[in-house]
Amino acid sequence: MNFVLIFLIVIFSSSLFFYGKSKTKSISIERNIKLNALPKFYGYYLVLWSSIPALVFLLVWSLFEPIIIKSIIIETAANQGAIFNDKNEANLIYEKIKAIHLGTYFGDIDTILKESAISYSKFLNIFTNSKIVLIFVTIIASVIFSLKKIKNNNKAREDVEKILKGLLFVSSLIAILTTLGIIFSLLFESIKFFSVINIFDYLFGTNWSPQRAFVSDASAITTAEYEELKDAFGFVPLIAGTSFIAFIAMFVAVPIGLFSGIYMAEYASFKIRRISKPIIEILAGIPTVVYGFFAALTVGPFFRQIGESIGLTVSSESALAAGLIMGIMIIPYISSLSDDVINSVPQSLRDGSYAVGATKSETIKQVVIPAALPGIIGSVLLAVSRAIGETMIVVMAAGLAANLTINPLESTTTITTQIVMILVGDQEFDSPKTQSAFALGLTLFVATLILNYIAQRAVKKYREKYD
Amino acid sequence: MNEVKIKSNNLNVFYGDKQALFDVNLDLNEKEVTALIGPSGCGKSTFIRCINRMNDVIDICKVTGNIEIDGVEINDENLDVVSLRERVGMVFQKPNPFPKSIYDNISYGPKIHGKGETKSELDEIVERSLKKAALWEEVKDRLDEPGTGLSGGQQQRLCIARAISVNPEVILMDEPCSALDPIATAKIEELIDELKKTYTIVIVTHSMAQAVRVSQKTGFFHLGKLIEVGKTEKIFKNPDNKMTQDYITGRFG
Repeated sequence: MNFVLIFLIVIFSSSLFFYGKSKTKSISIERNIKLNALPKFYGYYLVLWSSIPALVFLLVWSLFEPIIIKSIIIETAANQGAIFNDKNEANLIYEKIKAIHLGTYFGDIDTILKESAISYSKFLNIFTNSKIVLIFVTIIASVIFSLKKIKNNNKAREDVEKILKGLLFVSSLIAILTTLGIIFSLLFESIKFFSVINIFDYLFGTNWSPQRAFVSDASAITTAEYEELKDAFGFVPLIAGTSFIAFIAMFVAVPIGLFSGIYMAEYASFKIRRISKPIIEILAGIPTVVYGFFAALTVGPFFRQIGESIGLTVSSESALAAGLIMGIMIIPYISSLSDDVINSVPQSLRDGSYAVGATKSETIKQVVIPAALPGIIGSVLLAVSRAIGETMIVVMAAGLAANLTINPLESTTTITTQIVMILVGDQEFDSPKTQSAFALGLTLFVATLILNYIAQRAVKKYREKYD
Repeated sequence: MNEVKIKSNNLNVFYGDKQALFDVNLDLNEKEVTALIGPSGCGKSTFIRCINRMNDVIDICKVTGNIEIDGVEINDENLDVVSLRERVGMVFQKPNPFPKSIYDNISYGPKIHGKGETKSELDEIVERSLKKAALWEEVKDRLDEPGTGLSGGQQQRLCIARAISVNPEVILMDEPCSALDPIATAKIEELIDELKKTYTIVIVTHSMAQAVRVSQKTGFFHLGKLIEVGKTEKIFKNPDNKMTQDYITGRFG
């Protein structure tokens, strides 16, 4: 229904473009005046004014309609004698009424609810009809308003610019508000978690096994229970596992990525570059779950075989396999970004170095790389945040056991993997186990934020040097 | 007249299919300033970039013919360009100091060629080069500050000091003053006058006045051909060629 309406509004207002254009042309000829803007701006003006108010109206209406109908229906149901004690029961009755209206309710339908269902469909009808009428009125009113402006030869160019600026502003506002919303939802759940588990016990605990955390009543936890609980939510093994795997990944990705970036930027001929750059970028397009297959089915067993042949016990899910594959996944990020920054180092610097008799490799090592360093640091830190946030490869290749170990051949786990583990399946939303996922999410978010901040600072500090 | 230092013989340069220089025969004298003038795209810069083989950096560039320095052919595949560029320094159109400290900008070249093994030797080279480039007094208290923080004229003198630091015999200057204001330009010109006592200098310039002020010999290029070459005085007062006459009087170019 709404989609049809939006479609009609858009079609109608776009067609007004031509009307506005020709109308202003004829006005300027008729009255022999110079227009304040090109005729097309009057067309845009009409399009924007006829569509935006109606669309905004539709949006606001759609947001409030269900809420208003719900309160009306619950009230009528109460008047007709339906009994409910609190909000939850009222909601339940409302859902029942809706189901009856849609014909999806199976069970005994009592007369009160049936009556309410009839009035529900009646209200729905009224609301839909009045919605259409009001949108129609809105469009008419805004078109009349804008036509009047156009006839008075308004400054359509400035007005269109203003409206567009407003639209762009709203878009960025939405992005910002979404971010805030995500942060707050994380924050509130985490606060619930930290009201049960002391934040220091969480941050410095060395044992992570949330599956042990059974609580009979979350609102009244005894001291003995808490001792048990805090042992289940120790963050240290997770951050250790995360950093360990990320470290292995960077150990693989930084040299290979950087060197291939240098090769692409400085040595590769145009032909080689044209072929190999897209191939490297395809590596970035492979879904991580596919890397996960590769790690779990090929690399993991391969390491185990090698380990066996030289008498080492290698777990088939090892930090080494996950880190290695993650490193391969990250190579294209580092390679592509450092290629770009190296390319943006001005040729004049290289010329200056060649002119005093430096060789190519001396020039790269002593002039080009230092000049490109901020960008390279930035790309590496971006890759680190990717490595820390990566989930799928670790789930598939590194296992789930939160071992506090520095042996790369044992299985470990990461923050993101544990979040997945905790939230998969049926969960009670007020148990500390579920809430711990949000705490983990918040911690991860803060960690990535700090990394990004450091990256930006580093880039800023060394910037501008070669301009 | 001084001795001939650099001698080009039927020099042709191609960028891909396009020929940029046609049979250029030009002799450059030792410890003298030779100015190359001509409209944009006439091949002056291409010519001086042949002298230190900077055209090697451009993939599609091909050079045929001969260039000799002190009678030794340098347009030779087997020639070691590193030692050639040690002997033939270059200063570019736009000042291009490295994003390093002033000190490191100067010590870069000597370090690469293994000159100045100890810190005090390096210090001495840096000081001598900066003094020769008439920059020492202005920067001696801030040698560890970035070279990019200097003014445009200072940056260009820093680049000259960098070229001098490896103790070359020839200095090529590709429109060294085109990005500078008149005061900075005057300083560089004074410097060139001083430097020609020690070095053979080739300068590409768009300013006739500059060519007259700094050079002893002038070559006029047009569309990749060397039209006329001779004593600066003669070229500007009484050129043989009509085209030269038209160019220096501003009738085309």
